[in-house]
This record gives sequence, C-alpha cells and structure tokens, in this order.
Amino acid sequence: MGERTPWCSLVWRCAALALCGLVMTSAQAQQTLVVAAFPAVDEIVKAAIPAWKKLHPTVEIKVVSRQFTDHHTAMTTALSTSFYLPDVMALEVGYVGRFAQGGGLDDLSRAPYDILRFQSRWVPYALQQATNRKGAVVAAPTDIGPGTLLYRIDVLGKAGVGEAELTQSWEGYVAAGAKIKAATGSYLMAHARDMKDIIIRTGIQPGEGLYFDNQSNVLVTSPRFVRAFELARKVRQGKLDARVGAWSNEWSEGFKRGTIATQLTGAWLAGHMNNWLAPNTKGLWRAAQLPEGAFAAYGGTFFAIPRGTPVANKPLAWQFIQLMTLDRGVQLSAFKSQDAFPALLETYDDPFFELPIEFLGGQKARVGWRDAARRITAVSVHKQDAFADEVINTELDKVLDRGKDIATALADAQRLLQKRAHR
Amino acid sequence: MMNNDRLAPWAAYTIVGIGSLIMLAPFYFMFVFATHSRTEIFSLPPPLWFGDDLVANLKILTERIPFWRNLGWSVYVAVLSTALTLLFCSMGGYAFALFEFRYKNALFGLVMATMLLPTFMNMIPTFMIMDLLGWIDQPRALYIPGAASAFGIFLMRQFVITSIPKDLIEAARMDGCSELGIYWRIVLPLLKPALGTLGLITFIASWNNFIGPLIVMRSPENYTLPLALRSLQSPVDTEWGALMTGSAIATIPLIILFMLSSRQLISGLTAGAVK
Amino acid sequence: MKLPAVLRLSPRWTPYVLISPFLVLFGVFGVFPLLFSLYLAFQSWEPTAGMGAMRYVGLENFAFSLDDEWFWKSLKNTGWLAVASGVPQHLVAIPLAVFIHTSFKHLRNGVVGAYFLPYITSTVAIAIMFSSLFSTDFGLINVGLGALSQVPGLGWLVPAQPIDWLGQPENIKPAIAIIVWWRFVGFNVVLYLAALQTIPKDIYEAATMDGAGRLQQFFYITLPSLRPMIFFGVTLSVIGGLQIFEEPFILTGGRGGSDQAGMTTAIYLYRMAFDFNDFGAASAMSWLLFILVALLTWLTNLAFRPRKGSV
Repeated sequence: MGERTPWCSLVWRCAALALCGLVMTSAQAQQTLVVAAFPAVDEIVKAAIPAWKKLHPTVEIKVVSRQFTDHHTAMTTALSTSFYLPDVMALEVGYVGRFAQGGGLDDLSRAPYDILRFQSRWVPYALQQATNRKGAVVAAPTDIGPGTLLYRIDVLGKAGVGEAELTQSWEGYVAAGAKIKAATGSYLMAHARDMKDIIIRTGIQPGEGLYFDNQSNVLVTSPRFVRAFELARKVRQGKLDARVGAWSNEWSEGFKRGTIATQLTGAWLAGHMNNWLAPNTKGLWRAAQLPEGAFAAYGGTFFAIPRGTPVANKPLAWQFIQLMTLDRGVQLSAFKSQDAFPALLETYDDPFFELPIEFLGGQKARVGWRDAARRITAVSVHKQDAFADEVINTELDKVLDRGKDIATALADAQRLLQKRAHR
Repeated sequence: MMNNDRLAPWAAYTIVGIGSLIMLAPFYFMFVFATHSRTEIFSLPPPLWFGDDLVANLKILTERIPFWRNLGWSVYVAVLSTALTLLFCSMGGYAFALFEFRYKNALFGLVMATMLLPTFMNMIPTFMIMDLLGWIDQPRALYIPGAASAFGIFLMRQFVITSIPKDLIEAARMDGCSELGIYWRIVLPLLKPALGTLGLITFIASWNNFIGPLIVMRSPENYTLPLALRSLQSPVDTEWGALMTGSAIATIPLIILFMLSSRQLISGLTAGAVK
Repeated sequence: MKLPAVLRLSPRWTPYVLISPFLVLFGVFGVFPLLFSLYLAFQSWEPTAGMGAMRYVGLENFAFSLDDEWFWKSLKNTGWLAVASGVPQHLVAIPLAVFIHTSFKHLRNGVVGAYFLPYITSTVAIAIMFSSLFSTDFGLINVGLGALSQVPGLGWLVPAQPIDWLGQPENIKPAIAIIVWWRFVGFNVVLYLAALQTIPKDIYEAATMDGAGRLQQFFYITLPSLRPMIFFGVTLSVIGGLQIFEEPFILTGGRGGSDQAGMTTAIYLYRMAFDFNDFGAASAMSWLLFILVALLTWLTNLAFRPRKGSV
C-alpha cells in the first residue's frame, strides 16, 4: 500500500481522538440499573424514571418485564447461577417465602442498608412479611392489597340484607347468603374455597405462618382450619357458591350478570372490575370491611436486591428501592395510575383517599381500606407454603365434593405436610 | 357363514368419514374461532362459521406478546436445528455404516439406548447444563443439543447401508477423491431422500418443541411460538380470540409443509417399523 | 480441487472426524446431563441459594419420593392415562386401517393425511383449542353432547347436565385421554396401513375361496399378520403414555388440576423442580420413573415379541 496523504492521516487522527473521547464520556455517563418486574409493577417502575433521573441523571433504568409466573421462575433461575441477575427484583408476596429462606437475597436489615430505621414509615405488617426465620429482611414493601368485601348492593337490597348483617360475623355472612340465594337466586360467593382462604388467615398467633410456624411445625389441624373447613362446607351445602374458579370465563360472567353477590378479595379487584371484568356493573358494587373484624392482605409487591448482584451496583439499587418505597410522590402516583395501594404511611393523609370511587357508586372506599391496611397482621412465610396451599385445597375439595370428614382431611394434610416441612 | 360384502363399502365410507371429521374438526374450529372475539367464542351457541374479528385479534395478539418476533425465532431455531441435524447425522450415519473403527458397536449401542430414554429424563439435567454454560434464555440452547439426534443417526445409517454400495466408495477412493470429498460429493447427494425425511421430521419437531423452550427460555422476546402461546394463556385475562389466532398461525406452516410432503414424511416415519 | 496431501484424511481417521461433531454434542448434551442428574439425585439443592449450596444426602431423595403420596398419585394418574388413551388408539386404529385399506383407493392419501394431521401439529395449540372445546358452559363438546341428549334413541347415553370437564377431578382424566387419543390414533392408522400393505392378497383370496367370511379373515389372517406392528405400536404407546406432559400441562395451567387428577409424573417432576424448588427429589423421581418405563417396555417386549415360526 502506498503512503497516505498528509490530510488523510490527519482525518484518521481526529477520528481516533473523537472515538476515544466518545468512549470515555460514555463510560462515565452510562451506568445501567436492571430492574426485573411483571405487569403492572413494570409500568409503575417506568413511571418513576423521571423522578429517578432528577436524582441520578447519569444512571439508566432498564426494565425487564415478564408475565407473572414466568418472572418468578426466571428469578429462581437467575439466583441459581447468578447469571442474568437483575440489580433490583420485584417479588409478589406469595413468592417472598420461597426466596426468603434461600439466602439468595441481600439482608436489608444490615449495613449499609439498615432498612429497620424506616420500619415505622410503612404499614406495620409489610416489613415483617419480608422477614425470614433468621430475622433477615429480604425485601422492601412497595404496595399492598388490603382485603375487602365487595358486594352487590342491588342484589342484597332485593333480599333485604344490609351490610351490617353481612359483616357481623362469619356465621352471619353465611346466613345472609342463604337469604340472598332464596330471594334472588344469586350465589353468595364464587367458590367455597374463598371462605376457607380468609378464615385460615384469622387468629394467627405471632411466630406463626399460615401453615407452618417458625420451627416448621405443621399447623393445619388448628382451630382456624377446622372452622374454615366447616364454614366452607356450610356454604357448599347451602349451595351458596357458584363453583367457579377465579379468573375463569364463568367467574367474570358471574360478575357481569350479577349471579355472584359478594367477593372476598383485595381492594385492587374493584379496579379490574371497572376496567375489564364487569364494567357494566358500575355503581352496583360497594366495599365493606371483611366480616368479623378480619384483616388480611390479598397480594402485595416487594423489591429485593440479589446477593449476587455486582457490589458496585448495590448502592444505586438501594437508592432506587428507597425511591420506589419511601417517596411519597412515587407511591401516590402508582396508586392513582395503577391502583397499587401504597405501603408508605405518610401517603395516607393525601386527599386522594377521600375521593369517591365511581365504580362503587361514589363510595369513599379508600378510607376503609386505609384503615384495614394499618390493622393487617403479618404472617410468617415458609418455603413449602405453595405446596401446602395445594394440599389444603385438595383436601377441601374432597370435603366439599365427596363428603370427606373434616378431621380426617386435615389429618391427611398434616401427614403430607409433615414429611416436607423440613426439606 | 357371514357375508358382509354388501354392507362393507358404505359402512366403511361412513365410519372412515366420521373419523376424518373428528380428526379435522378441532382444526376447523381453531380457524373459525381465530376470526371471532373472545365474547363470541364463549357464548351460546358457539360460532360455527367465520367471523370478522381476525384483524382485531391480530392486533391484540401482537400487542400482548412479540408475536412476529416469536414466529421469527421459531423459524430461525427450526432451520438451524434442521441444518445442523442433517449435517451431523449424515456424517455420523455414514461413518457408522461404512467404516470400521474402535468401539463402533458399543458407541452405536449407547446412542440407540438413549433413543429409548423418555424426554422427562432430560428436563432437569438440561436446565442445569444450560445454567452452567450460561445458555439460559439463548436460542442456541434450543438448536444445538438437538443436532445429536439418535433417531437421525439411526435413519441415516439405515439408509446408507441399504442404498450406498461400498464399491462406489472404493472406486471413488481409487480415483483419488479425498475422504471428505467422497462424503460431500458422492454420499450426500445419494442421501437426498433420507435427508428430506429427516429434515421434515426435525423441522416439525423443532417447530412444535414446547418442553425445551419451557425449561431454558426466560424472556418473552426470545420465546418460540408454543411458549409464546402459552404465555398468552397464563395471565388472568386470557384473550381467547387472539389466542386462537396465534394458535392457527402457529399451525399453518406445518399444515402447508405437510400437504406438500405427506407421502415422504409418512413413508419415512414408518420405514423403520415395517421390517 | 484436491487438497494438499497433508490435509487429506486417510480412511483410517475419517470415521473419527465424521463422528466427532455428533459425539461431542451427544456427550455434552446427551450423556453428561444424565450423569449429572444421577449425581443430583443424591444431593439436596435449594436453587435460590446458588450453585454452591448442594449438599450430599445419600438416598434420602429416593426414600422421600417412594414415601411421597403425590409421587404415587402421579404414577397412578400416568398409568391410567397411558392405558385410557393408549388402548383405544389401537382398538380404533386397526379397524380404521382395515377399512381404509380395503375401501379407499383414490382418496387414500387425503384420508391418511387427515388422520395424520393431529400428530404433526403443536401440542400446545391443540391443547389450547381443546381447553375452549371443553369449557363447561360454552364448550362445543358439551354443546354437542347436549344436542345428542335430545336425540330420542341416544339420549340415555348422555348426562343431562353439562359436564364440568376441567373442574372435576373425575373428568379431567378423560378429557386429557381424549386429547391424547385424538392425537395419536391417526399415527397408528398410518403404521397399520403400512403393515397391511405387506400382507399378500393371495392369502385372502384363498381364504375366501375356502368359504371364510370377512370377519373370520380379519381375526385369523389380518390380526396375526399385524402382530409385529402391534408390538411396535404398543411399545410406542407405552413409552409415550408414561411420558405424557404437554396436554395435561396446558389443560390444567401447569398445575395438574383439582386433586392433582391431571398430574402425570412428568408434570410432577417439573413442578418439584421449578415450582417447589426441590431439584434433588425431582432428579430422584425421574430416575425412579425411568426404571419403571424400562421395566414396562421389557414386559411389553415379552408379551408381544414376534415369536419365531409364527405367521
């Protein structure tokens, strides 16, 4: 090759310098924080990016969003080898137990996080919910799902049943259901299982989880389970449940047509009903507290930092989590746009809570939910909770469909769970 | 003495005809439902003829999941899988058939033994291997392992033994052709029918593969079609119309492929069965 | 173009070169994973704790599995499904193949194609399709059964209420069996058709001349001649039936359904690993199931093996 002309070599040198400069500046400017989430938490995270940019203009947030179950499976996989670990991961409360015991998540109660200093700023039960048996806090709460009783005021009206009658006691709730069925033909609830689900969550002692206690003893023969099964059986015997599964076509049809009169659920269901489940029933529903003074959580989201994340990213990850969970503006905007009930107590004085909800006929339901949120008690989580869920549901089905004796059913469940409690 | 001769023809036609209808009916309804919205699908009476929601369904489909991307991945993985399998299995089958080498029989026995292994034996170990290799969520985890297909080696070896005379190879050697040249220029062209069959089988298997992607894929953008369809089904709000449209689209390429090559496919698959 | 002598392969080394890509892949993705799974069966591993958390536990996983009610339940489910979907496959495929063989000359390819189509299409798409067909209130199958119950002669066969296919444990199994049957009956028709074509026509002609009726010919000529193919087909059905995964997975949303009625062992394996995060036990179970499959295959072999000297 021949000699380059002088100006040619100058061009090359300038280009090289420019390239170097570009690389250097971009190396300084570009740091990316990877946040793994699922719908609708991904929207909430994305909505918080402008606020983040004000604090850390040079740090990009990359949101990796997957469908709910797939997200949690992906997180399990990522934790198993530390490949493709996000810097921050969103976890739904039902999965926190599984991840809490493994040791794959950073303990936020230790330095430099010291999350316990923020404990009083959140609803009491939330931080406890993410604490494992060794006392490590593995995640920070961002939104919660206060339990509520949604009921069709028109259907109840036809049966002459008032809200007080419905919520006085669980037995009263079932009795009201019989009246509703007799007068209108509508079912009290979607499935007797819903009854069981809420009652096993009542009367949990400190140190107890839903199915296991902190020493992994199995609790399924305790009185709350017996009562739950008995009441569920009563519901089924009175033909008060529609026997439809949640989220099935028949379930949403039940709402649209008014054949399901009440639903024990998280507050967020009202939003779903308004948006797509049963928009035609606007104004016909009301929200009440759960019967007999029960307070429970149906859902909730947490943010965690994997232990295997590069140490350099962890301070920023923690900053991000603080923004999502402790910033009043971010929490409120998530509430207003995605119906994510805030875990942060200082948002509770916002006028938004006092606004009437059109879908609920103008009821200011958020006030009641706010009350409930403060009174929910934490339930310890256990690695085998998901399995226990299925075992109990199976035994309940046998009791309901095949008349199995309750004591035998619970004893069978006890036996099955005991074998796995310590795995 | 039983004389069924007069009954047989129309009875046979009716029975076989009803059977065909049963076989084809779900496909028919899949395509019909693909053109209806989800409320129409789940109404009484259900739709029996085509509707007009196809475009709407396509819109929902492509909004919910990266459908075209998933389709692209299915094509990409299937093509690569087929190409690699054809290459490696033809090479291996040729070697097993016409060469002698140490441990040949033991190796072949081992390969054949794995053919009897149920697929679930692979589920967990595959996950672990891919995890260790860092191949989780990458398409190569789908098309590379399959190239070592025991069935492919079996088919190729069988075909080489029955259709390629050893003298031909000898003659080519004496003419001075290199070994790899013999493979490429003589054996491979003669293998065309077997390549065609194996190619079809591999393509179909890769296209329909669900368990493999289920185990190793994690990001929706990297899913192949079966997994993408299932992710549509999972969330609380199943869009049945879009789901049917997606299922129908996932089925069409195979139906076309099948119509073009059914004879070859069927004869290839049954080749080993009828001794 | 001839390669320079140093790069040319001698016939001695060629096979090794030809075989090596296959063997490398086979070793890495075929043999090694198996050995690893065997190793894993003796470990206790909680995946979210990372790779280093494996602990040797000897035979504990095997003991746990053999003692696990759900494992046995899944085996029963798998066995039931294998038989309920497998036997009708062959019971229906053989006569169908005979009908097609004797009566369809021109349309044969079309008919065979129609029967084979279910086999080559995606299980996921099919199962999704059947999910909607099996819907209790709106599914076509119940609508069809409802229409049938109105027909005077057949009304008594069909229950009056719509069947809750996907919600009731007793019904999930038949639903899955129907889908698997639907998928494979055509495949078996094709197999039997191929075998039927090898039976010489003279035998039938001779039999007709001797006065044998069609039914007798079927039982004394056709069936015995089909024996090798029946053996092959049944072996495939046994092996396949014991591995059923995709149909129940899609139909029950990956869980196995109410009372785990649709949970085959393959699904339980998957759940043990990916839902309950117990990889050690899952590996142990896969080996236990494999032993069972091998045993049953061997038994099928004994029962159906073509005996020397028979037709």
